[in-house]
Amino acid sequence: MSNKVVVPFGSQHICLPEPVSFLFDTENEVITDVKVDVGYVHRGIEKAAITKFDFTNVSYLLTRVCGFCSITHASGYHHGIEKLLNIEVPKRAQYLRLITVELDRIHSHVLANAHVGEVVGYENMFMQSVKYRDDVMWLLEAITGNRVQYDYYTIGGVRRDIDNNMVEEIKKRLKKFKEHMLRIKEFYDSDYTFGLKTKGISVISKEMAKRYNVVGPIARASGLDTDCRKEFKYLPYDEVGYELQLYTEGDVWARNMVRQDEILNSIDMILNAIDNLPEGEVKVKYKGRPKGEVFVRVEAPRGECFYYIKGNGTKVLERVRIRVPTYSNIPVLKELFVGEKYSDAQAIVLSFDPCMSCTAR
Amino acid sequence: MLGMFLESLNNLFSKPVTVKYPYEPSPEPEGFRGVIYYNEELCIFCDKCENVCPPGAIIFDVVDIESGKKEYNYNPYLCIYCGACVDVCPKSEEGCLIQSNERIKPLGRELPRDKRLGYLINRIENPKEFEKEWSKLEIRAKENRERLKEYKKAQRAKKAVKKE
Repeated sequence: MSNKVVVPFGSQHICLPEPVSFLFDTENEVITDVKVDVGYVHRGIEKAAITKFDFTNVSYLLTRVCGFCSITHASGYHHGIEKLLNIEVPKRAQYLRLITVELDRIHSHVLANAHVGEVVGYENMFMQSVKYRDDVMWLLEAITGNRVQYDYYTIGGVRRDIDNNMVEEIKKRLKKFKEHMLRIKEFYDSDYTFGLKTKGISVISKEMAKRYNVVGPIARASGLDTDCRKEFKYLPYDEVGYELQLYTEGDVWARNMVRQDEILNSIDMILNAIDNLPEGEVKVKYKGRPKGEVFVRVEAPRGECFYYIKGNGTKVLERVRIRVPTYSNIPVLKELFVGEKYSDAQAIVLSFDPCMSCTAR
Repeated sequence: MLGMFLESLNNLFSKPVTVKYPYEPSPEPEGFRGVIYYNEELCIFCDKCENVCPPGAIIFDVVDIESGKKEYNYNPYLCIYCGACVDVCPKSEEGCLIQSNERIKPLGRELPRDKRLGYLINRIENPKEFEKEWSKLEIRAKENRERLKEYKKAQRAKKAVKKE
């Protein structure tokens, strides 16, 4: 006997951190078809970037695309503009950029993992993770001046320097944070109940990941070695000990483990960078206006973030195009649901760490 | 098992991690980007901060068209605290525009009274009217700008006639 029911999941749901709507056609709790709508938070940012703002001010707008990867959007834009204007960024500024970008990645990954833990049934896990995450948020607030949307990048460098007290504070807090993260990793790795809910759920094979063009930690969990930090070297990653994290299982558990390993790798990179922080200026002056077009790829916490910038020699840019990682991960997400149980849908969505305010812009 | 028991006992008697924010101040780190303070005596009225402000939270309103006198108005509830105005201000080192590390209370029962926050916020009694007055100011400032432009054009035309 079959029992067909349509179950809505979102646009507002207790599990979902951001507005996205799924309509599941289910048959005896097994999903047979999905409809996805991602356009709930469209704000017209790309249009505003080419009408209302000068190219020097666009970054204030682009940092507000998203709360988690705000510094990645700023980095994408600034790497592009600096290519157009032929600016060589000083070494110290590059290191400071690397530190803030990696801190941003850490706090985004911690929250994503905590969300997966929460929907699987570990609410305390979520609270503990968020408690530890606050140290990283505090560091970002102290370095950049803002808590969520950091206006830290500027054309030709960064807007403020860090002093010796700050360096000591970063070291102290990160070392404590690393211990907590190791403990949490041990839990994800070895807990039996957590494994039951996550291992073998929604497996993406390597071929499937290639076919659907999956990016970020989700691709790395399926054994696809793609990382913009390795491929494009827009920041001095190979000097501070970057390592690619690969898992081959491709399920919810592997995605969590990739993110957890990346957190640990990012902490090591920051500690290395801060020990070997070069002396010098943090900002250079520039001349001229952007002319021509440029493509930039940077690694956001969720995967490859793509920027296309076109300038025509005037103050206002001609085109700014953003393609965010969640957008390229949605097709495979839709495919994955078919055949899974409805009770696993929450864990699948949150293991993808969807960021809808990026996607709809 | 014993470890778990000890940890839960430890958690039971340890201090809470959270801050009782509205009743107690939430500590800001040094260098926090807070409210913008303005000093009229040092200002040269170059309007750079008004032009650079991304949300338009700073408005110079022309009060007297003949003398060209301007008044600084600031909306702390519209401000995104990016610090772009302070970066661009030519007199910021002397203290014309400063970014303090103080937080402003959310728009509630009373408005903050401070001369350094500009004119409009000090003139309004009822906090519920603030947003309405601000949108009126935006329109008024635009109109006054255009009037000033026309006035200057007329003055220039007069001078040209005199020379001839």
